[in-house]
Amino acid sequence: MGKKKCVAMLLAGGKGSRLSSLTKSLAKPAVPFGGKYRIIDFTLSNCTNSGIDTVGVLTQYQPLVLNSYIGIGSAWDLDRKNGGVTVLPPYSESSEVKWYTGTASAIYQNLNYLKQYDPEFVLILSGDHIYKMNYELMLNYHIEKGADATISVIEVPWPEASRFGIMNTAEGMRVAEFDEKPALPKNNLASMGIYIFNWSVLKEYLEMDDRNPESSHDFGKDIIPLMLDENKKLFAYPFNGYWKDVGTVKSLWEANMDLLDDECELNLFDHDWRIYSVNPNHPPQYISPDAEVAESLINEGCTIEGEVEKSVLFQGVFVGRGSVIRESVIMPDAVIGENVYIEKAIVPSGIKIPDGFVISASQEDEEITLITPEMLQGIC
Amino acid sequence: MKNRMLGVIDATTYHEDLEELTVHRSLAAVPFAGRYRLIDFVLSNMVNSDIESVAIFPKYQYRSLMDHLESGKNWDLNRKRDGLFFFPSPLLDSPSKGIGSFNHFAANLDYFYRSKQEYALISNCFTVFNMDFRPVLERHTKTGCDLTVIRQDGRSLEMYLVKTSLLINLIESRNETGYTCMNDVVTDIRHSFTICNYEYTGLAVMIGSIEMYYAASMGLLEPEAWKNIFKRSQPVYTKVKDEPPTRYVKGAKAHNSMIANGCMIEGVVENSIISRGVKIGKGSVVKNCIIMQKSQIGENCVLDSVILDKDVKVESGTKMEGTPEMPLVIRKGTVQGALMNS
Repeated sequence: MGKKKCVAMLLAGGKGSRLSSLTKSLAKPAVPFGGKYRIIDFTLSNCTNSGIDTVGVLTQYQPLVLNSYIGIGSAWDLDRKNGGVTVLPPYSESSEVKWYTGTASAIYQNLNYLKQYDPEFVLILSGDHIYKMNYELMLNYHIEKGADATISVIEVPWPEASRFGIMNTAEGMRVAEFDEKPALPKNNLASMGIYIFNWSVLKEYLEMDDRNPESSHDFGKDIIPLMLDENKKLFAYPFNGYWKDVGTVKSLWEANMDLLDDECELNLFDHDWRIYSVNPNHPPQYISPDAEVAESLINEGCTIEGEVEKSVLFQGVFVGRGSVIRESVIMPDAVIGENVYIEKAIVPSGIKIPDGFVISASQEDEEITLITPEMLQGIC
Repeated sequence: MKNRMLGVIDATTYHEDLEELTVHRSLAAVPFAGRYRLIDFVLSNMVNSDIESVAIFPKYQYRSLMDHLESGKNWDLNRKRDGLFFFPSPLLDSPSKGIGSFNHFAANLDYFYRSKQEYALISNCFTVFNMDFRPVLERHTKTGCDLTVIRQDGRSLEMYLVKTSLLINLIESRNETGYTCMNDVVTDIRHSFTICNYEYTGLAVMIGSIEMYYAASMGLLEPEAWKNIFKRSQPVYTKVKDEPPTRYVKGAKAHNSMIANGCMIEGVVENSIISRGVKIGKGSVVKNCIIMQKSQIGENCVLDSVILDKDVKVESGTKMEGTPEMPLVIRKGTVQGALMNS
């Protein structure tokens, strides 16, 4: 293997339990988003658009869909002779089976993967977020600052700061202190879970962390605080732009609705920063003579015979006659029968909604309905 | 058993009546149905019929065809064994009159010598259809025919199935026999070959003129027609583009249309086929049109029965009108201004 300047390690083993039944049989990074993508497409596309061609993808929870989706990485132009995408599942050693117990242990157990490329820098990413970011600019910043580690941060609204890992910075964005979900935040710069480490420093601290039986083997909780204690040079890299953790049904719905907003910073139509994905082969969408389509994002392979308003429809969705879909997200290959009314809901992949089914949004709470097969039982 | 047939696509055809769309590209590369090129239909049918070795014989303006096919990856034809072969004609004479020019094949006889597949399916490149060729092979082998012609309502679809060894014979003996192409063999009565016909009952449209192109495109808006062409079990493959889903903004309307990905629809679309990456501005009405890839229509335009080739820019306020019998064809990459057509 040839030497690489920077290798990315993409943590994609998350369960995303707050996404409820959407992540019952697939990992959070594989959850469909934006009419044709899966969440991980954003991070993988960022890598390829940033000139990073070596990406280790660490999987653990329900990896089947994710593994087959990533394949050899050709969708993101990451099928390379030297480097490219490598899926890194947990494995057993002669003495024991080692699950990834934390973000740091996942990387530690794949030090051999990194050693093959003998990189100068290691970029740690998470496959859970929707954002477009040029990692090359962050790497340049890291080098300019002469940092041991750089952590990407985003300003969050003050009332929400206590939900995040907060970086308290000193002059020149040097990180002075790290507060994991502080009750009384001193700052509103939240860690985005994106780190660049000098390889030698990362290796040293991961080995140290592995020897510590008290550690939870987590970057935020263990590695970063330890580096701060030992006075390593940690810098915060401020990111301005769209960034969303789609960790709940509500936030997943909101992020999809953001795509219908003209003011939204997340532009999928930007040819200079394309979001790549595995393209299933579908004919163009067919809008029937009686159909109405307004303010929506609709993918190929859809057949629309009803009314669709302010909604996001993935590939292969069928909407029957007399049906109305409002402010909803309809995932791949869902079949909506006739005279159905769906409002403020997420319809998961492949579900068949029987004729006449009604889901309307209650006026009091702003809850989003996630339709499950159980809800449809006894109806058809 | 799989992999018993070679696929041979004659992409040398030039139709004068399609000149407006073939100035920059070979007939095989003419865009169709919003995201395809004409060759996608026969090529996908071959792949879906277990054909693993396909030879394409192009002649004129084949840059766009090569760009479209690349390594054959989108058709799963980038293989170590077999796969996609591209044999441009070394002869720049006038076009041959029939499909399967023996002269053209003769320049690449090695392909036929080296291939182990027992049969060869020779086809034109300009038919829109979704056909499984395996039953043709089955009938051909059972009946012991020398040559099977695929027909519809008795009319030849210009697709032929023969033993590869017989095809080699026909190519090698072309000067003695005087046969220049497959059709010469079929229509001649002097030889002793058994010629059989295979009647295809599905939808098949051969594109020979702008009028036929327009009618076949519009015909796809009938659900019966597009269900016949686009089957989930036998997909039509094409070059993949990473376009986002199509976005309809406030004020946009669409009825009875086929719309590919990456479009930004701000106006009204009716009875039209819209290709990838098209923009239709606010207040514009696009009716009975075929709009090809990346064409940009400004605001408050009215287009009726128009075919816009790729990358056409229509300035705001422009009115353009053709008729279904004589659609107005706008050439690739041109700019259409409000003043020019008023």
